[in-house]
Amino acid sequence: MIRSTTLRRFGLGVVLTSVLALVSDPVAASNAAVGLAGASQDNLSVPRWLYLATGGATVGASALLASFVTDRRFIERVHLWRTTTGFSDSLVSVFRATGSLLGLVLLALVVYLGYTGPQVPTVSFAIILVFAGLRAGYTMFTYLVADTWRALNPWRTVATVVPNGFVSYPDRLGRWPAVFGILALVWVETATNVTSRPKTLATALVGYSAVTLVGAILVGADTWFDRIDPVSVFLHFYGRVAPIRLDDDGLSVRLPGMRLVTDDDMTDLADIAVTVVLVWELTFSGFVTTEQGAAAIRAAVDVGVPPLVVYGLLYLGGFGVFFGLYVLAARVTARRIDTFETPLSLAVRFAPPLLVIAAGYHLAHYFGFFISLSPMLAEALMSPLSSPANPLVLTLPAWFGALNIVFILFGHLFAVWVAHSQAYRTFPSRMQAVWSQFPFVAAMILYTIISLWLISLPTATPPFI
Amino acid sequence: MTTDTDAPRDRHLCETCTEAYPTARLLVLHRGARHPDALDATEIEAYREAYYEEERELKSFRIRALGVLVLLYFGFLMLFIMYAS
Ligand SMILES: [Zn+2]
Repeated sequence: MIRSTTLRRFGLGVVLTSVLALVSDPVAASNAAVGLAGASQDNLSVPRWLYLATGGATVGASALLASFVTDRRFIERVHLWRTTTGFSDSLVSVFRATGSLLGLVLLALVVYLGYTGPQVPTVSFAIILVFAGLRAGYTMFTYLVADTWRALNPWRTVATVVPNGFVSYPDRLGRWPAVFGILALVWVETATNVTSRPKTLATALVGYSAVTLVGAILVGADTWFDRIDPVSVFLHFYGRVAPIRLDDDGLSVRLPGMRLVTDDDMTDLADIAVTVVLVWELTFSGFVTTEQGAAAIRAAVDVGVPPLVVYGLLYLGGFGVFFGLYVLAARVTARRIDTFETPLSLAVRFAPPLLVIAAGYHLAHYFGFFISLSPMLAEALMSPLSSPANPLVLTLPAWFGALNIVFILFGHLFAVWVAHSQAYRTFPSRMQAVWSQFPFVAAMILYTIISLWLISLPTATPPFI
Repeated sequence: MTTDTDAPRDRHLCETCTEAYPTARLLVLHRGARHPDALDATEIEAYREAYYEEERELKSFRIRALGVLVLLYFGFLMLFIMYAS
């Protein structure tokens, strides 16, 4: 019996949810939780477990609501809707040339000013551009508007003008190098002082440039930037969420996230791992920057474990748990449903919704940061060579905390619809399409609750690093 | 697409796109939804039957889902009344 077991599992998910909610501190209502109820701090306070359970239930309820939509033609109309505009070839080459030039100039400025500019993070062009610009603002642009990194990428610009592609890349490695590359870059960002010392950042960029250029020239620019280069893969995966796509055919607009249903360009376990990394790295940096996270790390260090080992275990172990959870959801679906689809093929089909979730998390983590630093970024971009005496940082109003909750929930709601559309593309029977989503939705509910919990905690500086 | 070839189960192959399904009913549903123009008269009849049968299952699912939604709504309403201050 498919139904009773699935219902039981769904029930188990709800139980797990409540247990998790109880583990978290039930006493104090945080700013974020208060923000859920209204703009004012002393308006209405909700216990944290209730705030978390409400978030999880919102995702579950929206999955149930989506399951009422069973009209294949309507679902197809939504994810196939598109408008296109062609560009003349000369306009495309102007765009490309401008992008390439801009990328090269910015990279040169970041490295040069990283070494010669003031060694204070808040006035350093290098730090502001890389973290407020690329890591926050440009990544947002990539999933909210369009992926333009291919044109901007300075390393690609250099690698394509010289002869490249001397070694053939073994296909079975897939995008695994990018998975470890992204994990490594986030590790460098967390555990070293690249975010606070411009000189270290410039040195890291020089090293990164050397590795990238040698690699791209060896295996060929297309292979390198499609499969190995962590920054390109990171932005390319986020770019799949974007409504606009620019390519040789011109500009096409789709509804946000709907390309994820039809693109079919994920093929193996490594691609699933990339999407999970995008969700996990934000969860990890969210965790280590909370008071509770810092306290947990201090407690482990007090027992006698070296700090870096604690961080490393948490980082890789957490990634393993998130990854395992998704693969488990795929296994459960494959076992419960009468189909020849393997767990792997199901996991590949249901991985794209995770990208929308990652985009929601990214907004929740970086939107406030980006807005408050945007005057500084604008000033840095307009006059890179003169560092401002009084860097201007916007103070965010209290309701920004509520906005983060909205971003996380919105990401999950979109993800539920993407999974719904994907299920209708995959299964011939509409009942199968309905039941197939529930294990994935249970995993999504768990991710939601963890993220909502993290953004409701008071923030702290990560200890020991 | 990868399919599980070890399974000692019947494979019902679609003659239009060679996709395999474990039951005849799933094949009928697949052909009706994906290749509506390639069906002959008996297949159309079989598809219609399978479609309406599924419609009945969906209907009973919707009723239960609605029940869960109502429970969730009132459950959370009660929780908010009791715990939010
Ligand atoms: Zn077929």
